[in-house]
Amino acid sequence: MRLLLSAELLKLVKQSKTYYALGSIMVIETLILITAYFQGSTILDLLLDNLKQSFYFEGTLLNGNLIMYIVLNSLWFNVPLILMIVTSGIVTDEYKDGTMQTLMLQAVDKWKVITAKYIVAVLFTLLVIGFMMLTTFILSYSIFGSGDLVVYINTLNFFEADDAFHRICWAFASGALTMIFYCVASMTLAIFIREAAKTWIAAALFLIITTLLLKVDFVVPVINTYFFPKLIDTWQQLFYYRLDWNQIFINNAILILYTLLFAAAGTYVFHKKDIG
Amino acid sequence: MLTGTNLSKSYSSGKALDNVSIHIPPGQICGLLGRNGAGKTTLFKILCGLVKPDQGQVIINSKRSKPVGGIIERPGLYNFLNAYDNIRIFAGIQGAPTNKHAIEQTLLKVGLPLDRKDPVRNFSLGMKQRLGIAIALINDPECLVLDEPFSGLDPIGVASLISLIRKLAEEENIAILLSSHMMGEISKCCHFLYVIEKGEIVNSGTTNELINAHITSFSITASNLSSADTLKKYEVEIGTNDARVVCEAADIPALLTELLREGIQVTACTPVLTLEQLIKKAN
Repeated sequence: MRLLLSAELLKLVKQSKTYYALGSIMVIETLILITAYFQGSTILDLLLDNLKQSFYFEGTLLNGNLIMYIVLNSLWFNVPLILMIVTSGIVTDEYKDGTMQTLMLQAVDKWKVITAKYIVAVLFTLLVIGFMMLTTFILSYSIFGSGDLVVYINTLNFFEADDAFHRICWAFASGALTMIFYCVASMTLAIFIREAAKTWIAAALFLIITTLLLKVDFVVPVINTYFFPKLIDTWQQLFYYRLDWNQIFINNAILILYTLLFAAAGTYVFHKKDIG
Repeated sequence: MLTGTNLSKSYSSGKALDNVSIHIPPGQICGLLGRNGAGKTTLFKILCGLVKPDQGQVIINSKRSKPVGGIIERPGLYNFLNAYDNIRIFAGIQGAPTNKHAIEQTLLKVGLPLDRKDPVRNFSLGMKQRLGIAIALINDPECLVLDEPFSGLDPIGVASLISLIRKLAEEENIAILLSSHMMGEISKCCHFLYVIEKGEIVNSGTTNELINAHITSFSITASNLSSADTLKKYEVEIGTNDARVVCEAADIPALLTELLREGIQVTACTPVLTLEQLIKKAN
């Protein structure tokens, strides 16, 4: 398995599309950062207009933490899309170039090949989220500085700068699990579909549907709580005034289970299906 | 040794293979002839373990970790990597040596240059075929399966690949099965031939047997052929530099002797055997 992993990593490192993905995330991030600055001023003016008449606010609320929060909100649709395209390519490119056949003609186990691909997809996702987190932190704090965070989730919540920083870090960690779920799902789709363009369409559809289902009320409480589209925005719970760590932990644990289920389904189908 | 017994495979589009049996002994080169869509690739995929047959079984007498190596349809290579890295990846995943010396030896075995450091997307088709064979040979398989290895190659590339295939069979005692719809190329290097049509083996035998049994004409290359009296006894189609003579294989020695007696310098005499003849005769 170690040998397969190093081979997969070598392929990922040597492919130009890996760097295109990182570059495009950087571009999106910069654009979001610029718009967040202007959007942030407008949102704050709207939210705090009434409060300003009754309370005195010291310092600026348009700071690095607010920008980070806006960036977090904006990135969770664009980034999975790019990640899904790149990670599904780990499988579809091999089919397109005929290298999947060459791989399967070597003395390697089928399940090990696909497991190595899933692991590399997860590692790549973590690398991208880490890269995104680091660059957003550096850019936000260096340009806008630190400060208290004000967010609106049902009501206005104020967090002190240190508390806000910790919540944002945990939000990135929880968001990374969502990204991993999407990447694993896209790899599984790639195993089923095999063709790159069709897989991209299916992956984009999957992303849109899960985002839409997030807002749908399924009436049954269990479905509303534990159906996977309801778990993809668990990171938002980190900005509730009272943190329910237990619920956040359970949600993420169930999302990890869904991720493993998707990976297991993909591995099973890959093992059973003929190559070619 | 590679043996497929009573292999059958159906797809939604129809039956791809019907009760096909094939045997390739060590050190032998077997050819599989058939038109496009005759079932060659399906058979190859089954023999390599990529596709499961509906019926029948594949027997490989081998204790090696990789009993069969091969190229199916085209060499599947990482086009963004150079030849060295391609070998490194495919050798690495199966625990074969990946040191510089081992990789260079693998490249040299198939006649690839060591100084090409550019991605394989820049390689000619012939070089890609060689690299594909190099990858297939990693971990010393006992059998090699090559699907349409001559497709798209120029005559020099074909001759060079034939020489490599022969060398592998003779020097390394590898059982080789290759497919083609090009009669000329396949008859030059194969000891045994199978003819497949609509998923069934319709003809088989040693190459010489098949040629002798089915040959009906020969191409003779020489100057002044149009003036040769000897050829008047035969049905002849005169070309620019050669003549296609309809006769039995047994008549050839006498025909050539008579032509030489007439003072005609024969530079080549090759049997003209088409795939259609092999299929038709069998039916």
